[in-house]
Amino acid sequence: MRVPLNWLREYVDVQLSPEELAERLTLLGMEVQAIEHWGADWRSVVVGELLTVEKHPFADRLHLTSVNIGSGEPLHIVCGANNIAPGQRVPVALPGAVLPGDRRIERTEKMGIASEGMLCSGDELHITSDAEGILILPAATPLGQQLSDLYGDVVLDVDVKPNRGDALCLLGLAREVAAATGAALRWPEIIVKETGDPVSDHLRVDVRVPELCSRFVGRWIGGVKIGPSPDAIQMRLRAAGMRPVSNVVDASNYVMLELGKPTHAFNGAAVTDGTIIVRMAERGERLETLDHVERELMPDTLIIADSKGPIGIAGVMGGAASEIGDDTTAIAVESAIFDPVSIRRTGHRYALRSEASLRFEKGQEFRLARIGADRVAQLTQAWAGGTIARGRVDTASVEPEPARLAFRPARVSKLLGGAIPTADQRDLLRRVGIETELAPAGTRIQVAVEPKPLVVDPGSEEVLVAVMPTWRRDLAIEADVTEEVARIRGYEMTPAHLPDTLMPAYRHSPLRVRDAVREIMAGAGISEVVTHALVSPADEAALAWPDDESGPPPDGASVTDGASIGQPITVTNPLSVQHSVLRRHLIGSLLNVLALNERQGRESVAIFEIGQGYGRVGDAPREWNRLAFLLAGSAAQPGWNQAARAYDIDDAKGLVELLCRLLRLPAPVYTADETGLPLHPGRALTVVAQTERETLSGRVAELHPDTIARWDVRAGSVVVAELAIKGLAGGNLPNVRVQPTPRFPEVDRDLAVIVENARPAAHIEASIRGHAGELLRRVTLFDVYRGAPLAASEKSLAYRLVFGARDRTLTEVEIDGAMAQVRSGVEVDLGAHIRT
Amino acid sequence: MDFETLSADLRGLQERALKEIAAAADPDALEQLQIQYLGKKGDLTAVLRGIGALPAEDRPRVGAIANEVSEAVKGALASRGTELRAIVQAQRLLAEKVDVTLPGRSIARGTLHPIPETIAAIAEVFGQFGFVIYEGPEVENDLTNFQMLNIAPDHPARDLWDTLYVDIPGHLLRTHTSPGQIRVMQSTKPPIRALLPGRCFRYEAVDASHGFEFFQVEGLMVDEGTSMADLQGLLDEFAHALFGPRKTRFRPGYYPFTEPSVAFDVECVVCGGVGCPACSKTGWMTILGAGMVHPVVLQYGGIDPERYQGFAFGMGVERISNLRHSVPDLRYYLENDLRFLEQFR
Repeated sequence: MRVPLNWLREYVDVQLSPEELAERLTLLGMEVQAIEHWGADWRSVVVGELLTVEKHPFADRLHLTSVNIGSGEPLHIVCGANNIAPGQRVPVALPGAVLPGDRRIERTEKMGIASEGMLCSGDELHITSDAEGILILPAATPLGQQLSDLYGDVVLDVDVKPNRGDALCLLGLAREVAAATGAALRWPEIIVKETGDPVSDHLRVDVRVPELCSRFVGRWIGGVKIGPSPDAIQMRLRAAGMRPVSNVVDASNYVMLELGKPTHAFNGAAVTDGTIIVRMAERGERLETLDHVERELMPDTLIIADSKGPIGIAGVMGGAASEIGDDTTAIAVESAIFDPVSIRRTGHRYALRSEASLRFEKGQEFRLARIGADRVAQLTQAWAGGTIARGRVDTASVEPEPARLAFRPARVSKLLGGAIPTADQRDLLRRVGIETELAPAGTRIQVAVEPKPLVVDPGSEEVLVAVMPTWRRDLAIEADVTEEVARIRGYEMTPAHLPDTLMPAYRHSPLRVRDAVREIMAGAGISEVVTHALVSPADEAALAWPDDESGPPPDGASVTDGASIGQPITVTNPLSVQHSVLRRHLIGSLLNVLALNERQGRESVAIFEIGQGYGRVGDAPREWNRLAFLLAGSAAQPGWNQAARAYDIDDAKGLVELLCRLLRLPAPVYTADETGLPLHPGRALTVVAQTERETLSGRVAELHPDTIARWDVRAGSVVVAELAIKGLAGGNLPNVRVQPTPRFPEVDRDLAVIVENARPAAHIEASIRGHAGELLRRVTLFDVYRGAPLAASEKSLAYRLVFGARDRTLTEVEIDGAMAQVRSGVEVDLGAHIRT
Repeated sequence: MDFETLSADLRGLQERALKEIAAAADPDALEQLQIQYLGKKGDLTAVLRGIGALPAEDRPRVGAIANEVSEAVKGALASRGTELRAIVQAQRLLAEKVDVTLPGRSIARGTLHPIPETIAAIAEVFGQFGFVIYEGPEVENDLTNFQMLNIAPDHPARDLWDTLYVDIPGHLLRTHTSPGQIRVMQSTKPPIRALLPGRCFRYEAVDASHGFEFFQVEGLMVDEGTSMADLQGLLDEFAHALFGPRKTRFRPGYYPFTEPSVAFDVECVVCGGVGCPACSKTGWMTILGAGMVHPVVLQYGGIDPERYQGFAFGMGVERISNLRHSVPDLRYYLENDLRFLEQFR
């Protein structure tokens, strides 16, 4: 809500500077978001007097003028407007002036004659809407004055909260200023000179849905003359952010800004039989609204109609056919109270929300219907002449008594945390127009209203009854009174102290395992990213995994044990298709980050994210946490003392193994995943590391070249992994269980196993472990060899086996026996032979 | 061979050996000298071979001299050896000299993203006051995201949260972390001190200060007698912890799920309160919204508002991070330009 201070001062005296006023309003809950100096952009625009106005010798449409600006020689200015004459005072933009819209005025030549500036229209200054003629200033306007000194103003931009519809107007904010400063509030003097026929001769109103239109006040003004409203009014509307239209429309808008009451002026001649009907639209009805859009009305729309059909969408926008035009002579004024929910729905339904509908949505003070109609009639007559018909049409002229609300002063103090004496509370409330009185016996307390009402018996506690001002529709429960007391008193008066109440029970942080994994990854040189959860459907589909429908469950257990993550969840009203589905996998997001950083010239990218995946099974949404990482470019930062090395899948597996060690999981088991797209069919695997309580599972892979190409990534190979880790969603790390350190020496033996190329290493290690017996402590692969003297179809894998026993030093015989078992076992299991 | 000759030979041998040992240039030469003089076939042995020709009474005297000579030579060898090793070591160390001003071998360390790090910083402060962390779903139902928070389907305040809806009936992407209040209250009993971090979504065009995805941290405390004064005391500690000693203030705000509602302002971290563009010349920066939990919300949480009262607050994680790290643009966070992220290393 834009508040021009000169306008505000009509209703309340303001002694404070704009900055002080802004601070006071902000501390009352009317947050001033900006202080704008209206007119500050009329730099070097001064008041001049036209001395001469002559025809331009070479151009019929132009005039040559000489202008006295109060000092120096008269300026010679070429001007195209037709409303100028000697003796008028006009705004003169001097060379060097900058007008709104950053328009710079320079000394120029127009059709061969020099022009030393420009005479300004109201539109050029953003003061009025008149773009045709020069703005003619009052004759007494002092010559040579800066225009901004005369017409400039300070405008406060106030963020009025949705519960305070009553403050969405100058008068409402003046009430707040009065409460803050103690100054008196001045209501505008509303006097309606009713000199015409009885209104019933011209206007009848038939409200057919009183539940949606609780009151309709109508007035009739005949014999008006449509034209611009006075310049001063246009300037006010402009400063308040509203475009001046015509005297009649401006009167309606002025009242909306002044009193917060939206009204509508119909062209009286366009209301058939002078009868306005408030009803629901019927199927198939159409209306061209004021914005000149032809709309098909939906049956749940509350409309204003006459006997021939719709003439307006109630509370939202009038119809074009009954619009005020230059030839309009009679005006029907509508000042109604509509159901806020209905107006809100309609505004959304037609994507049509106006200043009027915003105010209706927040609810309207009942008596404003009457006051608004009177004020519009008064101002219309003042600005457009005419005769006001006698009386009003009023469908509900009985105005309700002020609401009464009981509260317990002790509860006010308890909620705020410091004792505020009852007398002080009453004084504070009085400043915003809330009178209080002692409650009669048996008064009950409204603790909550809909949708979960609660009324309690106050027992022996002191109870007061607050009599609410009619405009304060937001005060309905005891806590609302508490807020008024706190707000008017000022929160700086509330004591601050630390809680001294009971502590809750201990609870593991759900971030614990996540933070451990983050530290592990960062320690391993991988940087954390946080990316969008909303992705494009094409990206989402491109990275779907073949087992998504039957694959990893959301709770972070195994990827391979059957439960489904389901279908993607789609946003029904996305901002763009690029962000319209919730991702099930994180890798696409990491690819986006890779692509972005490559565009910045980065060659090596090693990133991880712990993020949510989302899916639906039927109508049940599911969410889970995953760790994903991506490696592209150089593993080691090449330097003068170390060589570059490209990331490969072994780096990814190394990270997985590191995670397993640090998360106290067993060594991971790898299984080839040859399904292909989106992954490299020969360089993809599933991984599982599982104990009874903890699990890690997922995929590690190089991406398929087609996937890389799809993301427009330059890197030749991109290694990714996505892992489900139990505990990412919440859990704890198991304690380390220490084994006694070995007291007897360990013995190691090497073994080279020759197998056919296709044989997975995992088989060999499993076979070794299966045959080595219980003395085996560790197996480590230390070499893979292909080439002479092996056949081309063969490879040799060299393992170091470490043996030991808890209670003795092993003998050569024991170790030789175990090795013999291993050799023969491997030969039998795998058809391998042992290199000697 | 007589005693005098033999002893003179021994003395001569000693003199010669000591001279040569002193002149030995390196440990190898020294070792040669040891063999030459003291070895089994060395000079000393050779001289002593003549001992057999001496009268029996002279033999012990020669033996004593031979011992002296042997000890002297051994001593000389040892001390010269020490000298030479020191010289050799000094030479080696000299040869090993490197340019110590060269940079070291780089050790890769990843950076941690400022969003989770800021959440951790927030959680650390409130954790000291007994607040425990909970999380709620991001795909939320309308009931919990709005209605149980006292925001009816056609409430004008719904404009405060432009909502993204999903293709599951009655569901949406949570517009704030506040539905977590309901979930915590329904799952536990007072005393409650809960912190709820997480991702939120709004139908909002992206610019330097808006995004359609962002992060919040919600706080909730409910007990008998938990008051606005407790809220103010805790938030003062929080602001102090994150932004240093600064003035703070409450000013009235509006949320349907708190009554009274406040905004919490901290003295501008850029200008210190005198007024600058960063604080719109007010000297204050709003860091969060808060208030006393509305009785409707308490009841939906299964808590009797006549017995219990409490406060809730909600803050934007990016906002806190922006203020702590002078980040000028919200888009930095989800864009993940490593040139931005690596500054947090």
